Amino acid sequence: MTVNGVAVAFSVNGVAHRLEVGPGETLLRTLRERLRLTGTKDGCVEGECGACTVLVDDRPVDSCILLTAALEGRQVRTVEGLSGDGALGPLQQAFIDHGSVQCGFCTPGFLMTLTALLEENPSPSSFEVREALDGNICRCTGYRQIIEAVAAVTAESTRP
Amino acid sequence: MQFHRAQTLDEALDLLGELGDDALVLAGGTDAVIQYLAGEIAPEAFVHIEGIEDLTTVSLNHRTTLGPLVTHRVLATDEVIGAVHPALAASARTVGGWQTQAVGTIGGNICNASPAADTVPPLLVADAYVTLASRRGRRRLALMDFFLDRRQTVMDPDEMLTAIDLDPLPRGSGEVYLKVGRRGAMEVALVGMAVRIGFAADGTVDSARIALCSVAPTPRRVPDAEKALIGSRLDGGVFDAAGEALRAAACPIDDARASASYRRRTLGGLLERAAIQCREAVTS
Repeated sequence: MTVNGVAVAFSVNGVAHRLEVGPGETLLRTLRERLRLTGTKDGCVEGECGACTVLVDDRPVDSCILLTAALEGRQVRTVEGLSGDGALGPLQQAFIDHGSVQCGFCTPGFLMTLTALLEENPSPSSFEVREALDGNICRCTGYRQIIEAVAAVTAESTRP
Repeated sequence: MQFHRAQTLDEALDLLGELGDDALVLAGGTDAVIQYLAGEIAPEAFVHIEGIEDLTTVSLNHRTTLGPLVTHRVLATDEVIGAVHPALAASARTVGGWQTQAVGTIGGNICNASPAADTVPPLLVADAYVTLASRRGRRRLALMDFFLDRRQTVMDPDEMLTAIDLDPLPRGSGEVYLKVGRRGAMEVALVGMAVRIGFAADGTVDSARIALCSVAPTPRRVPDAEKALIGSRLDGGVFDAAGEALRAAACPIDDARASASYRRRTLGGLLERAAIQCREAVTS
């Protein structure tokens, strides 16, 4: 079987990339192994756990089941894009302040899904937060502290 | 393997005409890529159609027409669609998490032909038709006649699904999609049931459509159960008769998720719950 490289141009965290990738290469692999952006985690590799969540054109997607070749012209954001100049983003800081990180493996995925949620809906209810997180699984911290971190960020941003 | 990007429907149909059996149409990929990575499918080529804007449209008229690239997220969250297709919206909300709904499409859910395809029972109770196109022409057929077996459809290798059209919910009718699973999210249906019931002014059932998934190799309508409800006021022994018809129409399997016997036993109670919710939706 011949494998033909596919040229694809897309951006990651605002940086343009033009790559030649295998037709079956996943975005997760491209991010971690070509671009060395290892913040995005390799969990179940079948679109169930959400550890590999990144944003593509502002929508959360599982990068483990997304082919890189399908991303022509798209804008990808990863957890590395949430902090600037060495400073953590507000949601990241809230995760630390509220004990929302234990082993940390699922954390980048949670941060990306919640980033999409807060951009779409700056003051989500607790139910809306939980519903948005249907596709992100945490097996050690639990979800309560994560929901509290979101509540803290939204309270901060809506304070007069 | 090759990866082709089609920017227009014409390009996609040309590629499928050329590649035929060797090609697999790729939209959001939430089923196809998982199967590909697991080695369950090995196409010679993907024809990626996600960039074809014309296939993302929704038109609401006396019939609703959905482009095959309408995502589950749009179905789940669009208030206008939700008002006229509440069961379809509810079913889309049960497909995976946000990550799956954001890119997974209704066309993919149909063409993948999973026995557990959540959006299919709501489409069946809305009398959905599908339009298939190829370089040879177009044909439109009832969705009921589209599925042949588990993961098998009547589509020829050079054909592509280009539109789905269906009946919006009429006044005086209610519809719901109920799904049995072990938890409320990220679940493959153990049983899925869509019910659309029309009521006369005095509360008598004057039309009923019932469709199931996950209880047979293909999703299906159950006319005998529908007949059992028509003319009733959803009382007396009507659910015994309808439940019996549902169990007769189901041929579920035992698998890791549930036993065949369990799936069968859910059907009667599920219908009763669905029918009562349909009535509440009309009277509220």
